[in-house]
Amino acid sequence: MGFWYYFWTANILVAGTAFALIALVVAIRGVDDLRHMFDALRPGSKEPRA
Amino acid sequence: MNFTLIDWAIVIAYLAVTMAAGLKGRKYVLGLSDFLVAGRQLRPHLGIATLAATEIGTITFMYYAELGYKTGFASFVNGLIAGGVMIFLGCTGFMIHKLRETGIMTVPEYFERRYSRRLRVLTGVLVATGGILNMGVFLRVEGTFLTIIAGLPLDYLKITMTVILLLELIYTVLGGMVSVVITDFIQFVMLSIGTILITIYAVYTVGWTPMHDAVARTMGAAGFDPFLNPEYGAGYILFQILLWLSVDTCWQTTAMRTFSTKDPETSKKVFFWTGFIFLGRGMMPMLWGIAALAYFGGGQNSLEAMPQMIARILPSGVLGLVVAGMLAATMSVNSSYLLGWSSVIAQDIIAPARRKPLSPRAQVVVNRLTNLFVSLFVLFWGVWYTLPGPVWFYLNMTGTIFLAGAFAAFVAGFFWKRANTTGGYCAMIFGALGSVAFFFFNVPTSYAGLGSFILAGAGMVIGSLLFRKNDHASAPARQGPHGTQRQLRA
Repeated sequence: MGFWYYFWTANILVAGTAFALIALVVAIRGVDDLRHMFDALRPGSKEPRA
Repeated sequence: MNFTLIDWAIVIAYLAVTMAAGLKGRKYVLGLSDFLVAGRQLRPHLGIATLAATEIGTITFMYYAELGYKTGFASFVNGLIAGGVMIFLGCTGFMIHKLRETGIMTVPEYFERRYSRRLRVLTGVLVATGGILNMGVFLRVEGTFLTIIAGLPLDYLKITMTVILLLELIYTVLGGMVSVVITDFIQFVMLSIGTILITIYAVYTVGWTPMHDAVARTMGAAGFDPFLNPEYGAGYILFQILLWLSVDTCWQTTAMRTFSTKDPETSKKVFFWTGFIFLGRGMMPMLWGIAALAYFGGGQNSLEAMPQMIARILPSGVLGLVVAGMLAATMSVNSSYLLGWSSVIAQDIIAPARRKPLSPRAQVVVNRLTNLFVSLFVLFWGVWYTLPGPVWFYLNMTGTIFLAGAFAAFVAGFFWKRANTTGGYCAMIFGALGSVAFFFFNVPTSYAGLGSFILAGAGMVIGSLLFRKNDHASAPARQGPHGTQRQLRA
């Protein structure tokens, strides 16, 4: 029981921290990706479309 | 009523922004590939946001919290497998690289390219059946959460369900994948804030040691060790690894993100980083369930304990922010699922059945109509169907109706030259048998689920070896963006 308790405690710490950090980076840099998608989808865009 | 004026103001402001952003997507939809895969313009950060938002809903929080409440820290094994498998796929590119290279838009489309048109239709029927039954309980569970947390009487459940559905339906029908991606991004930010806030408040209010003590007292070692817990064990863990490999590659809503990325390398990056989010997506709500167990001391309805705890521990203002986050999670999942399953009906059941191909404009109209059909079904199923047990196991087994067979057919299609159409039929039909055993003969999830994957694999091998001459369509998958795009885009 001791091993599993410490194992899951370490897991939740890693998972929670990773979740928060990645969410922060994605929230900031995703805006550029969104802008790029709009540019590419605009009629007459030079971006290759599917 | 738990909501104050400030909470309502936050929720209404969020809804207004989401609807406006969702409707903005409409003007970018010029053809079917824009409607279904956003013109394949997703870059890594947006890909992560939309994939995470699609697979993180209030339903996710509810079923994982229920597992935490019922099985303690041992439930974390589910989150570890979900995240670990995704990180593995992101590192290796196993399957997802090849899937993106094929240039397809729906999962069953691959079956026509590799096997036959009829197998595509059968797969489409199984995918739509499994997917829509799976989604069928979302509104009820999500409505329960929102009703409890807002402090509304449960009589308002049906109204809550209908309002949620109508809001997401409007922008999904009009703007398709473009609208879904835009709203997913906003919803990802909101649901991340909500998830982190609830975790902090739950740990701060309940305390870490009381959580450990509550699990130890009510479950003993089985609350920590997944191999000792009667709900899990080695068979269940193996089933979950196979299930997540198949979900990440064959689940229509996840696969649509793979298909929507700019190129295969972007797909790998998206999967790798989203894998870490999936660790938290699983473990944090399970922790809320454990916190609810410690907070109430047991004896609650396992599904309702977590929202009841949240409604009591969050202060005004924070509650509104969290509900906006949960509403975001709800809408992002439902809109993507609506689009995903209705696209399968339109593209893989209706379109192949027609002798004369539909024009691109007509295809978008058919997709919008199937959106409406799926919405109505989900609303009625949510009202009338009673769950046979924990939500998570129901979702596992409805998904397995097609996942086991589709995964076997995908793997064999990509990596085994002898795989043929007969093998594909056997895999799809045998793979669905486990779900039949679960729903009609009460076979436990681990046996039924693992059995589905074993039967599907065996069906593919035996069918392909016994009927080798039936091999007209078993050339390696045709690569590249030809055929489908030529047919589908004007």
